[in-house]
Amino acid sequence: MTGATLVVGELHDGALSEATKEAVGVAQTVSAREGVIGFLAGSSSRAMASGFGRYGVGRCVVVEDARLDGAVAAVVAHMVAQAADSVGAELIVVGGTTFGRNVVARLGVRWNAAVATGVTGLARSGTMLDVRRPVFGGRATETRQLEGNHAAVAIRPHAFSVAEESPVDVALTVLAADGVPAAYWSPKRLGVEAAPRGSGPTLTDASIVVSGGRGVRAAENFHLVEELAASLGAAVGASRAVTDAGWRPVGYQVGQTGKAVSPQLYIAVGISGAIQHLVGMVSSRVIVAINSDASAPIFKVADYGVVGDLFQVVPALTAEIRRARGQ
Amino acid sequence: MEIVVCVKPVPDAETRLRTSTDGTTLDIEAVKFVLAGYDESAVEQALLLKEASPGSKVHVVSAGPPPRTEEVLRASLALGCDQATWVETAPGVAPDPVSTARALARVVSAVPHDLVLCGKQAGDDEAGVVGAALGELLALPDFSAVLDLRWDPATSRLRFQRGTESGVEKWEASLPCVVSLQQAWNDPRTAKLPAILKSRKLPIAKVPLETSGSPVGTSRSTKFELPPPRTGAKIIEFKTPEEAAQKLVRILKEEAKVFP
Repeated sequence: MTGATLVVGELHDGALSEATKEAVGVAQTVSAREGVIGFLAGSSSRAMASGFGRYGVGRCVVVEDARLDGAVAAVVAHMVAQAADSVGAELIVVGGTTFGRNVVARLGVRWNAAVATGVTGLARSGTMLDVRRPVFGGRATETRQLEGNHAAVAIRPHAFSVAEESPVDVALTVLAADGVPAAYWSPKRLGVEAAPRGSGPTLTDASIVVSGGRGVRAAENFHLVEELAASLGAAVGASRAVTDAGWRPVGYQVGQTGKAVSPQLYIAVGISGAIQHLVGMVSSRVIVAINSDASAPIFKVADYGVVGDLFQVVPALTAEIRRARGQ
Repeated sequence: MEIVVCVKPVPDAETRLRTSTDGTTLDIEAVKFVLAGYDESAVEQALLLKEASPGSKVHVVSAGPPPRTEEVLRASLALGCDQATWVETAPGVAPDPVSTARALARVVSAVPHDLVLCGKQAGDDEAGVVGAALGELLALPDFSAVLDLRWDPATSRLRFQRGTESGVEKWEASLPCVVSLQQAWNDPRTAKLPAILKSRKLPIAKVPLETSGSPVGTSRSTKFELPPPRTGAKIIEFKTPEEAAQKLVRILKEEAKVFP
């Protein structure tokens, strides 16, 4: 594999998303800089292509068609495959979002690509690509070899640094949204509500997660966990004991039957550390546990522990963090 | 409504993982296999839709080796699925997710399917690829990370929510389509003993894994590594909660370097 690498761009608040900038960063490590080509679809794609130029990507394929705003990933994957063929790409890199994973899966069929998702490492190995990716909730890391002429990978959020800024002019290639199966156009996105804290991908994509467990004792005490999370700009999670008791909705649950998270920092408040919970958070980079029981299993997987009363320690910690962050 | 639900057996979460001596495979001998967590939600969703639309049928399909695949199909029948098909793979042959989707698509395309349900991903390889790949193979749109799915008979439309990076998205789609479910939002039911006993005798259609090329596809595992065992927390000594807080913030800043 020595051909070009196409980076599928996603927009967030009128600019390239962090996930896309990470995808550009990793693409530039496996392809020569001039071999990295951007892709954008949607009504503002032509205007937004300069966003790729800011990170040293001098060429971009755009599909400027308002029908692509809010279209299903199937439509976009169709156009990405056409774009990849038009520029002779051999590798497609997409940010690790729901959309990105769907596009990559579609390309496995439409573009006959070897695919991998949740990728935390990407390197050439002879004519093939080796990817590394966590499996079993981060309890193991798999190396997977991608064979054949085409590969498509979705990277894991926060696993790679964003590309460095090095502005260049962007040459555009314009494609029309032709040949997309009619069935792919018909679904309608009716609206989007910003995610409530602690539910949806805010929890799975957050770089810091603060979770509360049985030690919080009652729903009305859970604000202690939420205030600590707010002081850090973190997402809020909970153990199964909390969601089973109805103190917080099931969307907050981290663990085997809830969500798996792997943030940079995970703070477990009043969580004993049942295996059910541990499999959902053990791949976090740094784990802090606050629990009154020194023998709680959570202290075996944590990096740092505070053995103490969470009703005293957590408010003090929230206050100290606010002070340190000038809030 | 003709509903097809695709499921996968995965090792129980309490399984201790070990690698083979050469590190090329995970040693999952003597492991208990269960229905993947997200797939439990898909089965539950299929049964809820069936109960809401009389005359509906739920056909459960799985691709994998014996005996675990037969076990999760029987478990799905015990929960209330009407029919089961097993694409049998040889033990030790691990098709990549796209090849698995191809095997499932061959079964699905040959049976009535208004709605194809999957779990968003399985807790073992965590690829999350099969649902969307199935959509592409069947030329149907697919929707992943679906939280709440309702069928509106008046308009003949599915209405659902998806938990994505943008927040909670509301969608509407007509049938047929593929839907991959977010986990555990619908509190999956458990099977009753008489149903479990009865499911042992129900027929399961068996089809061989047909492939035009490599049975495993174009991506394959070459190595597995386990993280170094965690050595236990460094316990922070303190006299007052304030002292604990100050020490912890200093550690997060200077030692762990994760302070925002």
